[in-house]
Amino acid sequence: MFAQQVLNGLISGAVYALFALGFNLIFGVQKVLNLAHGAIFMTGAFVSYYAVVAGLPLWLAMLVAMAVCAVLSVLLDRFGFQLLRKYSVADAEFGALVISIGVGQVLTSVAQKASETKVLSFPFGTFPVEFYRGMGLRISLLQVTIAALVAVLVVCLAYFLKKTSFGRQVRAVAINPRASALLGINGGSVFMLTFGVAGALAAMAGVLIALSFNSIQFLMGEPYMLKAFVVVVLGGLGNLGGAVLASLLLGVAQAMSAAYLPPGLSDILIYATLFVVLIFKPNGLFGGAVAPAGVGRQ
Amino acid sequence: MMEFFLANQSVFDFFLLTLGFSYSQQIVLRSGVFSLASAAFAALGSYGCAYLVMRSGMPVALGIVFGALIGAAAGYLTSVPLARLRGVYQAIATLALVEVTVAVALYAEPITGGAVGFNGIPKSIGTWQLLLAIFGVGYVLYAMSHSRIGRGFDALRQDEYVAASLGVSSRSQHTLAFIASGLIGGLFGALQSMYSYSIEPHQFGFGFMVSTLAAIVLGGRRTLMGPVVGSAIVILLPEIARPLAEYRQIVVGAVLVIVVIYAPQGLADTFIAWLSHRKTDASAKTAAHEITGGSNGHA
Repeated sequence: MFAQQVLNGLISGAVYALFALGFNLIFGVQKVLNLAHGAIFMTGAFVSYYAVVAGLPLWLAMLVAMAVCAVLSVLLDRFGFQLLRKYSVADAEFGALVISIGVGQVLTSVAQKASETKVLSFPFGTFPVEFYRGMGLRISLLQVTIAALVAVLVVCLAYFLKKTSFGRQVRAVAINPRASALLGINGGSVFMLTFGVAGALAAMAGVLIALSFNSIQFLMGEPYMLKAFVVVVLGGLGNLGGAVLASLLLGVAQAMSAAYLPPGLSDILIYATLFVVLIFKPNGLFGGAVAPAGVGRQ
Repeated sequence: MMEFFLANQSVFDFFLLTLGFSYSQQIVLRSGVFSLASAAFAALGSYGCAYLVMRSGMPVALGIVFGALIGAAAGYLTSVPLARLRGVYQAIATLALVEVTVAVALYAEPITGGAVGFNGIPKSIGTWQLLLAIFGVGYVLYAMSHSRIGRGFDALRQDEYVAASLGVSSRSQHTLAFIASGLIGGLFGALQSMYSYSIEPHQFGFGFMVSTLAAIVLGGRRTLMGPVVGSAIVILLPEIARPLAEYRQIVVGAVLVIVVIYAPQGLADTFIAWLSHRKTDASAKTAAHEITGGSNGHA
């Protein structure tokens, strides 16, 4: 029972990681709190649903969803956040939050219209329902697929950021956009890429969540958005390794509290933890001076 | 005129409540604190007042005063840890605070009534009490903004280091802004609970935050008129755009995005700044004219 809870927690933590990585990547590079990320995640689930209903195989539907969300995310940056660069830091910070809320609201309402406020679910047999048993544990084919997909993607992302030239450029822009521009790095393409990757990751998380709960509805992004805050703060804003660890931790903690605590208490504990961590270790539990949280504005 | 007013009285009342909440949101933003905690303060004031009036039989007026004080205390307590954070970190921390407040209101069922909240609250607040509260708060804010405090807020918002070098203490100014935000939020939360028959946790969640933020975005963060214009748009947009009712959320979202990109200071503030620029331009022109025209010496 206990081991089973840990396993389930790790799998749902893996999906949180997928969602939070994109959110965190955007924060790390652009210093923008993208509150539309949850809506993009939801859009991913919707696009894949309509693609499957239109007769595409699931893997292709997922790719379509990822492409659509990557484009959406890039457009949000290009015609939203980028236009704020000419204002002062305080105005841009506030503006970015408002733009992302506005875009999120538009996407959510469009989805509400499209689904007529109904809960959609994939047609039966979209993903084969199979269970494996061993060592007293039970794991479904879907859970195995999720774990494998997330592991592969996280490794690819880490490789890309640490080992490739473009990854170095992304990290350089994250540390200091002006200095990296002086060194000949094209900031525009770095922003485009990070938003594209973040959108695609959010879409994939959306499809995986839609498959595991077999329900798709227009408000599904909001709880994940709030979870992403928790993950990102626990792991450190802009710290990708920390985000993965924190996601797994959150997944397990949630599975545990669902099993052993009275309902309703887990939310209080999670957000209270977030508040406390933010105050005592604003750069995350896993240390690292990624972005100083306590300095004044210039 | 009177008939029109009576027919739309509830719209007007909601406008006054939204205006109060957006003043609570504005004062922290004005001092350069990126706090979204107004929803939490309003929830605390609202629940505190409803509990005192409903469960311990306190008179309504006293309950409202206590609601405001609870909000102010919460504002002070929030300001202590938040002094360590800046910018988006403050936004996340206060967002967490709002989530905790809603979650506690849902969980502590014996006290708060859980998801059902408080129902059957006797309605004891009408338009004129709300107006009185708005004028009271408006006067205090006006006096504040035309004193050292208001100028300190403006300096802090624009550049904290420069403000500090000019002798503005960010610590005490931010604490003051939080207490004021909590007091106003708590006061209008309490008024709302006595106005609207019932309160429930979710009315103080994400949607509350979006609508007060929208009022500030549309109005402005600096002037007293800003939130008036902003709240009026937020309240009237759904009424005017009734043919578009189905697409209301889309319209509101799109309007927010466009305003923030093209007038990041807010519509009212941008307009006021434009007017005062024009005035200074005009007076500069007359002054120049008087000098060149060789007037009698007091140019």
